[in-house]
Amino acid sequence: MGSIKQIPVVEAKRTNPLARVFDDLVRFCRSRSLFILHYCTGCGAIELPPAMTSRFDMERLGIQPMVSPRQADILLITGYVSIKTLKRVILTYEQMGSPKYVIGICSCTVNGGMYWQSYATAKKLDEYMPVDLYIAGCMPRPEAVIAGLQQLMDKIHSGEASSWEDYYRNYDYYLGNQQKLFGEDWQTPTDVISEAKHYDLLSEGTLGDHTRLLEQHQKPLEALEMRLGHEQEEPAK
Amino acid sequence: MSKEITHWLDDLLAEIEGIVVRRKSSRRVRVDVPADALPALLELLQGRAGYIHLSAISCVDWIKEDEFELVYHVWSYESHSLVSAHIRIAREPGVYLSVYDLYQPAAFFERDIHEMYGIHFEGSPNMEKFILTEWDGPPPMRKEFDSEAYINEHLSWQNYNPEWLQELVAEGGGVIIPPEEQRFSQKKK
Amino acid sequence: MRPENYEAQRQPPSNEFELNFGPNHPGIEGNYALKVKLHGDVVLEAQADGGYLHRGFEKLMEQRLWIQNIALVPRICVPDPSPMELCYSMAVEQLCGLHVPQRANWIRVMQLELSRIAAHLFTFGGHAATTGMYSTMYWGVADRDLVLDLFEEFTGGRVYSIYNIPGGVRRELPSGFLQRVSETLDYIESRLPDYDNLFFKNQVFVKRAKDVGVMTQEQALAWGVTGPNLRATGLAFDVRRDDPYLIYDQLEFEIPTEESGDAWARTLVRRHELMESIRIVRQVVEALPDIHGPIRAPIPNPLAWNVPAGETYTRVESSKGELCYYVVSDGGPKPYRVHVRGPSSMHAVQVLEKLSVGSRIEDIAQTMFSLDACPPEVDR
Repeated sequence: MGSIKQIPVVEAKRTNPLARVFDDLVRFCRSRSLFILHYCTGCGAIELPPAMTSRFDMERLGIQPMVSPRQADILLITGYVSIKTLKRVILTYEQMGSPKYVIGICSCTVNGGMYWQSYATAKKLDEYMPVDLYIAGCMPRPEAVIAGLQQLMDKIHSGEASSWEDYYRNYDYYLGNQQKLFGEDWQTPTDVISEAKHYDLLSEGTLGDHTRLLEQHQKPLEALEMRLGHEQEEPAK
Repeated sequence: MSKEITHWLDDLLAEIEGIVVRRKSSRRVRVDVPADALPALLELLQGRAGYIHLSAISCVDWIKEDEFELVYHVWSYESHSLVSAHIRIAREPGVYLSVYDLYQPAAFFERDIHEMYGIHFEGSPNMEKFILTEWDGPPPMRKEFDSEAYINEHLSWQNYNPEWLQELVAEGGGVIIPPEEQRFSQKKK
Repeated sequence: MRPENYEAQRQPPSNEFELNFGPNHPGIEGNYALKVKLHGDVVLEAQADGGYLHRGFEKLMEQRLWIQNIALVPRICVPDPSPMELCYSMAVEQLCGLHVPQRANWIRVMQLELSRIAAHLFTFGGHAATTGMYSTMYWGVADRDLVLDLFEEFTGGRVYSIYNIPGGVRRELPSGFLQRVSETLDYIESRLPDYDNLFFKNQVFVKRAKDVGVMTQEQALAWGVTGPNLRATGLAFDVRRDDPYLIYDQLEFEIPTEESGDAWARTLVRRHELMESIRIVRQVVEALPDIHGPIRAPIPNPLAWNVPAGETYTRVESSKGELCYYVVSDGGPKPYRVHVRGPSSMHAVQVLEKLSVGSRIEDIAQTMFSLDACPPEVDR
């Protein structure tokens, strides 16, 4: 036998015929148990209680609200996002576990809607995070919300809903837009690049000029210090 | 409001110098006073006429006259009438006195006017930003602030001329909106 | 076995800490935040943090035509949008000296009171959910939907009706509509005893809400509290009766009050108001067939409409309290200045900050929902 390098490497193939069935089953189960993050970012949130409760009853599709981002699957952006909210939305999005899906409800998430002249709202949501599905309307009726969620379920089942992978693959683009809006020292507590490595999604678009800028500014993560704004900090003794 | 109370209020207001009273309807009184007489007027209205509810403080930016107009709307639960006291202050430096010691709701309105117009109220309990905490531009409600220019600089518009639509149009369907016609703010340039 | 210095160790030098409450929190109404300083679970200090829903309405309205703003104003308060459009329309009418036909006034009252019913049912739902009673929330939201169906039928919009314009209302009522209104009212009224048993008399709710967030009448007056929150301290003041607009002076209704001024009293005042609103709508339904005439005063071409210069201050009683618009015109095609005074700008900021102090952290949600604070009104 020669050196170990001469041994031909056979690309690992799934030989188990049940693997495909198993993947399909996982996707099916995933699409039937979705948790929506309970975060009302804008006025479209007023149509979610009717969609969730007795009359339209989203729960029959297996969709339920969830209070914590760590356990949620879907981030609903219900309407316009003011720039102050957009920061929180991005923090929340990065905290959610993969796979995660984003739905933009209302016209405002598509193009700014009727607030196109407003200095305080972001105009294009998909510049800052990848969006799986838009539900247009001002505001969309509960039927439209449910139809959109059903479409998302189909997309999850067929494997098309993969925007979360796009966030890791093109992180540099999204980070660049965020830096343009929030300033160059913008940093979130989540280490997206390491996560991209973990999911094996590191690609050309993940690293770039903007991530280099981030690395220059990045501080090691510390526990968040929460203080009331107007209080004077006393020097530690 | 009976006529007696009306006259009584007019007599009371006549104690302030330089005051102009206009009765707009049976429940609305407009009062114009010099800026330095306003605290005395409000004290009079609150202490002796029962106008204990400060409904709002509105600010108007009269950029041509280089002045800010502050309007104090006070309501009386007894005589059921609303007095709007108008004052004018200079746009620069834009400083005025707080009326927090007379009316506690003034704290919110003064804070709001401070961040939206940049007027500083001396003696107000909290002049920190409330709504625009993460905003580093100029006070946005001032007339010289051009929000469309700000948007063009910081935010980007939706693309109404994507490739897939161009293909559709080539096949004879769909409507393209060229970028120069998309918003009239960009058309001007 | 306990260590020797157990007692000393058991009490840390300070158990004060700070907590961000919201904006992504189920105990917060809407997108709003509170920064609280706690000792154990008792609140020492609370600071409201708004602006998450800021859209710059007042700036936007200066950039748009008078008629375009009608579509903009309902967005300021999402749960109760109708008073917003009415208040703005009234301001433009006063500036132009437009005389609104009687029939339009009666239809407007019906719209306002239906909107109040919908808003109160929605508030009960949210409030009940904070105490863990989700059935009330499911019922309240579903019953509110019946009112929204009525809105859809006569205005075309479920939530934002955009039905008022300066000079009157946009459309005549559909045929047989009044019959359906009274059927819906009968149904909602028949549901109220169920709500009483499920929510208002429920010991879980009564024990959670009694003696929480108490304010006296003097405090309420000093803090600028209005609406049901003021009436819960015993002062029977209502803009509809004491500063009447539209045709409220021709209608019979009472102003319910409570004495104790706590979260329970505030919720109960709303419960009584629901009955009064149903009573008002019934009077309108009875009177409307006999009131004939146009529904709209003639207005000039709305796309080239120069409203005469002037200023006006209009007040409306919304479901949250006193809602005011200060509108200034310089004679141009666009408003020169519109200032919106939402009732929640007092309730959600100063009053909530003051009432939270001294309460337990789990009672903040009780205080906030019983004040019926509406964050988009604060942020505008």
